[in-house]
Amino acid sequence: MSAPAPPAPPGEWQRLDPRMLLVHPVREVVRFLPPLVGLFLAGAASGGQPWQFLGIVVPVVLGLFRYLTTSFRIAAGRVELKRGLLSRHVLSTPLDRVRTVDLTASPIHRVLGLTTLRIGTGTGASGDDDDLDLDGLPVARAQELRADLLRTARAEVVAGPDGVPDDPDAPPAPERPVVELDLAWLRYAPLTTSGLVVTAGILGLGGQVLGNVDLWDEVDPTSWHVGLPGWTAVLLGLVVLAVLVVAVSVVGYLVTNWGFALTRSRGSWHLRRGLVTTRETSLDEERVAGVTVGEPLGLRLAGGGRLTAIVTGLGSASGSSTLVPPAPLAVVQRVGGAVLASTAPVTVALTGHGPAATRRRYTRAVGTAVVLAAAVASVPLLLGAPWWAVAPVLVLPLAALPLAADRARGLGHALSDGHVVARSGTLARRRDHLEVDHVIGWNLRATWFQRRVGLTSLVATTAGGPQSVTVLDVPEPLAVALADATLPHVVRQFLAPASQDPPPEGVGEGRGTARLPG
Amino acid sequence: MDLPTLREPRERVSPRARLMWQLSNLLEGVVTVTVLAVVAALWDAVDLAWWMVALALLVVVAYAAVVPQWRYLVHRWEVTDTAVYTQTGWWARERRIAPMSRIQTVDYAETPVARLFGLATVTVTTASAAGALQIAGLQQARAQRLVDDLTLKADAVEGDAT
Repeated sequence: MSAPAPPAPPGEWQRLDPRMLLVHPVREVVRFLPPLVGLFLAGAASGGQPWQFLGIVVPVVLGLFRYLTTSFRIAAGRVELKRGLLSRHVLSTPLDRVRTVDLTASPIHRVLGLTTLRIGTGTGASGDDDDLDLDGLPVARAQELRADLLRTARAEVVAGPDGVPDDPDAPPAPERPVVELDLAWLRYAPLTTSGLVVTAGILGLGGQVLGNVDLWDEVDPTSWHVGLPGWTAVLLGLVVLAVLVVAVSVVGYLVTNWGFALTRSRGSWHLRRGLVTTRETSLDEERVAGVTVGEPLGLRLAGGGRLTAIVTGLGSASGSSTLVPPAPLAVVQRVGGAVLASTAPVTVALTGHGPAATRRRYTRAVGTAVVLAAAVASVPLLLGAPWWAVAPVLVLPLAALPLAADRARGLGHALSDGHVVARSGTLARRRDHLEVDHVIGWNLRATWFQRRVGLTSLVATTAGGPQSVTVLDVPEPLAVALADATLPHVVRQFLAPASQDPPPEGVGEGRGTARLPG
Repeated sequence: MDLPTLREPRERVSPRARLMWQLSNLLEGVVTVTVLAVVAALWDAVDLAWWMVALALLVVVAYAAVVPQWRYLVHRWEVTDTAVYTQTGWWARERRIAPMSRIQTVDYAETPVARLFGLATVTVTTASAAGALQIAGLQQARAQRLVDDLTLKADAVEGDAT
């Protein structure tokens, strides 16, 4: 390790770590690999002087310039990043807009003791050029800077109306991990669809490569002799495929989540994980609007789940909001309770949505399946196939029944300890918990069918994550009561005056105190 | 009924909005049908009978006659000191309530067809991508006053509205 350079005075433009002089040229060489390989092949073919080695100089020099032309500073309440040789970019953002700070270290960074600090501000723009990346800081310096950035962002928030920020010079509280990776969680890895998707991707890519080198032409299926009857071979193939999928998902889980730990210190949540490339994400606690417990069918059957955060100002696509990877539901609920500072919302029993909503689940699931089955069956029938040949499509409506039953069971909502809780779905069941303070509006949407049976879909809008939390097909009075209970100053004035019927006991004034049943 | 229900917002949009919606629906429908008919005529594979085109036009006219009326009956809005409340749609009715303290921008827009009728659209956005409230078919002067009013009221509330 080289001696650290003395830190530049605050407010001055400063370069990134000089060790990046090693990283950038290597990276540029890798980026220029295809033309370089071509150059070398051409050079070797033509013989003569080895001029082709000059070709390497170009990316190396480019890498050096990349280091020399990049600098950053923190001054006057803004972070500024200046970069580019031919076209200059200056990125600048106010410190109080910092939502998240990520530390990412690729293998080459880790060898050199460096890390990349990425500042998330939650802008809509997401081009590579618009990211505020400080690529290449010594780990200690990056951690210091992260603490500074988050403290400033937090002070701005806290100092708002109360005017009493945290003592900035208080010693950092010792980090206490809320949860760490348990290798037993690996059993949940094959139960998500990610392994399947990655395997399909690998197989597809492999097939394409084989196709490109004309290997398929060499394969003559008629000459195959596996020495097995056809069905056994197919079965064997499926088993091999299943083993492959399981292996890929387990390896993928390990690569992503190795060393996973969630800690809380100084008003932020810190998430660390990654086997090859390590990634540390810090979420300002004030910006965590809620959590979502995801329970895809496979995970749910095995008693597992995963946890993501709804972060104000961050879209759901940014991907930095995972709090717990697939893990036992008890762990997910415990962490969810810790993040919400209350376990009640995560564990509370939900109010069901009643018979009308249940009927609607059945009509929708079975109706869709019937239409689909009819569409599938119509083609062979029109072409003159006998009716029994298309009978298997009857499986579709039958399969829809348990699906509908499960969807109906899953529906529910609650208002618990300052959080709106909503659950829906079956293949991808989710239970959202949104802090009432982060509800920035209510939408009540009802089609004519829904109005006929007195249902409405209640949508809480929020500035974070998926932008909204939907309470699906809730009876309208319950929906209004929930909206009223969360934003009383706002919704109360739009409530219908007491109807002509004499109001039941305690309701005349009591609209204000109306509670959700259950 | 022992639980509260929401009433409708108090104000209607301009009655001229019906004509505006009828005209734009009619224009859109006729253009679509014409394009389809021309494509079908040029493309030999489909043999389109004249009555099919006539039927499509009939559907367009019926839609333009009925749906804007329905839409006009549904479209309502209301602005108080603390909130904006809108009701839109026809088949699917959507009610949206946004607290004044969460309003981020107030947009005023006139589409070419709306200008023909002296109407305008006011859009109120919040920090959520799912939360924009739109009041279409307001008289221009009324819409302008509404924008000024909303801007003043939203300014009066502290906070960054997230």
